Formats: sequence, structure tokens, C-alpha cells
Amino acid sequence: MGNKRYGMLYDSNACIGCQACSIACRAENKVHDDVHRLQVRIEGPKGEFPNLRMDFHRQSCVMCDNAPCVPVCPTGASYTNEEGINMVDEKKCVGCGYCITACPYQARYLDPKTGTADKCTFCYENRIKPGEKPACVSICPTNALIFGDLNDPNSGICQAIKKQATIKYKELLHTNPKLIVIPNRHGGEK
Amino acid sequence: MDQIWGNTTQYTEIVWGWQIAVYLFLAGLSAGALISAILVKWRSNLSAGYDGIMKAGAVIALPAISLGLALLVFDLGKPFSFWLLMFHFNLKSVMSIGVILLSVYSGLMTVFAAVIFKKEFAENSLTAWAFRPFLFIIEWFEGLGKWFDWVMVVLAIGIAAYTGFLLSALVAKPLLNVPVLPLLFLISGISSGIAGSIAVSVIFFKQSVQESNLKYLLSFDTKLIPTELFILFVMFIGLFNMGGQYAIVGQQALTIGIWAKVFWAGIVGIGLLGPLLVITLSLHQYEESDHAPIPVGALLVNSGLVLTGVILLRFYMLYAGQTFI
Repeated sequence: MGNKRYGMLYDSNACIGCQACSIACRAENKVHDDVHRLQVRIEGPKGEFPNLRMDFHRQSCVMCDNAPCVPVCPTGASYTNEEGINMVDEKKCVGCGYCITACPYQARYLDPKTGTADKCTFCYENRIKPGEKPACVSICPTNALIFGDLNDPNSGICQAIKKQATIKYKELLHTNPKLIVIPNRHGGEK
Repeated sequence: MDQIWGNTTQYTEIVWGWQIAVYLFLAGLSAGALISAILVKWRSNLSAGYDGIMKAGAVIALPAISLGLALLVFDLGKPFSFWLLMFHFNLKSVMSIGVILLSVYSGLMTVFAAVIFKKEFAENSLTAWAFRPFLFIIEWFEGLGKWFDWVMVVLAIGIAAYTGFLLSALVAKPLLNVPVLPLLFLISGISSGIAGSIAVSVIFFKQSVQESNLKYLLSFDTKLIPTELFILFVMFIGLFNMGGQYAIVGQQALTIGIWAKVFWAGIVGIGLLGPLLVITLSLHQYEESDHAPIPVGALLVNSGLVLTGVILLRFYMLYAGQTFI
């Protein structure tokens, strides 16, 4: 029995940019008012009429396999747990900000209240451990998010990935994110 | 601000601000001042007492690194948890290696300064009672002679270069993620240390400054400045040649907004071409002459220009590096 390796599939075609995920994240994780763990950015319109497109971009931690935020941490507060989720140990974190500057996805912030680095955890402590899905996945009205074990070929996420072309953000950096994206199929190529 | 997805301040904010820029400058200054003190030591006859430049080096290096460390600690999100850095090490982290280097360096730097000012501290009635019990430790290190010097030189090079590695390790920041950055910070750090030592020595320790040593350091700095210009040239050409985001960021950093102005007017103009001009027009005659008096004014102007350029270089790299991504 190997470990689980949690991932998330984001279908940017199904996403309508309603921000319900962002609000659910805020409520579930008590995120400080001044910061976000998650946003859905609406980019566009791009291209030329009539081939216009609006791209949707999920701005959050992408849960890299080779996470640049982990090796830079001077105290080991930033770590990848046995289920592939990149976490911060608040007790060990001194708030130096090195992980924040090292993250190519701008997924981290210094919590204004605690002074420690914080980020999306896929709701690990509060929802994954009890066997639920992350708050953003549960709330999504269009089922644009699928959460599951990437090590299990029969999981919903693995089945969905097999059916269609997917990308990962900033693949050139070889961070190998576990947030996998179905890119926009609409509009022109620009 | 009005987007449906909310406030984006956290995504455009500078994470490492002026405190870190000043720290990067002070670390380089401290290392450079120590290196210039030891270079002078190696070509001096010590029977006549320590050269004013060595005293200046110690007077700069210890307070500079201490102030730098204070800035680092108070810039933390949880300043009073800084001790965690001394109990949890991660040798993959440049910052953690830096903590180790800084601990050894600042400790030995204190000893080095005590060696230089041994006579003054031991003879002054205000300090003697506190100083004398430690005299045997200080004399033991003094007795190590060149061995101690070499340890300090290696540590100083480590301190100046690590500040570059700290930033060049950031894959997410193309302007900083360049192999020459540690070299650039090392060379400019030594240059700032020499400039600082010369300035402090001609103001406070003029009596004990040997002019041949002063000229030696001045001529050394004159070689470092063109080297720095060349490293900057290599860095930007390298960014353009790497292509992709590196090329875009390289171009932005040289052409857009306040940081482009800081680069051209501040770093290249004031910090590098300025001193070359002062040296060519004024200080060169002094270097060549055997009996000209020490040109204190020109030396201070020259040092001021070099130090301004080096501190601006740290601000530029840190701010432009985090702005253009």
C-alpha cells in the first residue's frame, strides 16, 4: 500500500468565476480579511472578434511535487507531508518570508495576525483528515473541481485526467504541480 | 481593487523590504572592511602598532554586522522566535547556512576587533576590568597569526557571497536567479568595505595610517570598480541570452520606472563612473606622487560615491528583483 498523493483537477471551461470557492475557503479556514489563499481570476476578453475568449485562472497553491518553498525554509517549518500536501508548521515558522519569495505561484503570504507563512492546505487538517473534500471542491456549483488520489488509477481525478488534455501552470520550472488544469477550449488561439 | 476576485495587494507587495536591502549592504560592508584590514595587515610591519586602516576596518566591520543582524531579526514575522533558527537547521536552505556563517563570523569578528584594539581596551581604566579576564583568549587568537587571518578572510568571503546565493536561489525571481549574483555581491561588498575603511581611517585614525597602505587599497578598489561594471554587463547579457521570462525581466529592469533610473543614474553613474572620474581627475596624481599630502576631501567624496552606489545596488536588486517577475 503506497501513500496517497492528493491532487486537484480544475476545469477552466466549467468554471464561471463565481468566487464561491474563495468564500468557502475563507469561511472554512478562517483566512484573515486582508489576504487570500484562493482567488479565481478572470482574464480577458482576449483575441479578435468573433473568436474572443475569457480565461479563468485559479490562483492558489498548486501543491508542487518539487516545491521551491520547502528546501529554502531555514527551520524546516515548510514541509511536504506524507500525502503530498505542502504545509507550514506554524510553531517552527519564524516568518522570514523566504518561502514566499521562493514560490513561483505567489501562493503564500505572511499572516497579518500570526506573523507566520500561510497558504492553501487543501483543507488538510479540517476536512481531508475526517474524510471530506476541500471546501472549494464541495461548494463549486459547476463541479469544476475534482479532488482525489493521483496514486490511485481508479480515482475520479485519474479517470478524468485520462479523458482530456491537461496542463500544469509554469511547467517549464519542473515543479510538477498537483493542481492540474483543463485549459480553455473556447475562442481563438490568441 | 474592484475585481470580483478581491484585493490583490498581497500579490504585488514587496516581501523583503528596506531592512533586508540595508542588511545585504551591511553584510557586504562588514566583510569588505575586514578583508581590507587583513590585506593591510599582511603588508604591514606590525611592530609599529596596527595601521589606522586596520583599526577603521574593525570599527566598521563589527557594528555593521551587528546592526545588520538586528535588522534581520526585527524584519521577521515573529522577531522573538529568531532563536528557532539556531535550533532547527536545514542545510538545503541558503538562509540556514547563512545563520551558521553569521554566528561564527560575528563571534570571531568580536575577537578580531578585540585583538586590534587590545592595547586601548587593556589600558583604559573604564574597560580594563571587563577586558582583562578575557585577555588570554584574545592573545591566543592573536598568536594564531596568519591562520586566524585566513579563517576570517574565508568567513568574510562566505558572508559577502552568501547574500548573493540567498537571492540567486530564487527560481521564482528571474532577475535574481542568475549565477553571477554572488560574485557581484562579493566584489561590490569588498569595494564598499575598502571605501568605508579609507573614509573612517582618514577621519579618525589619520596619525597611524601608512600612506603606502592607503595607496594600495585605493589602487585595489580602482580595479574592483571596472570589474563590477563588467559583471553587470555579463549579468544582463546573460539574462537576454537565457530568453523567455529572463529576457523580458532583464529588459524591464533596465527600462521601466524608478528602478531603471536607480540603475543607470545611481549604480552606474554615481556608484561606478563617479568614482572612476574622481580617481582619474584627482586621486591618481596622489597615488603617483611621493610627497603629496593625503587628499582627505577627494578620498571622502570617492568613498561616499562608492558606498552610495553599493547600497543602491542592493536596493535595486532586491526591489527590482521582486517587482519584475
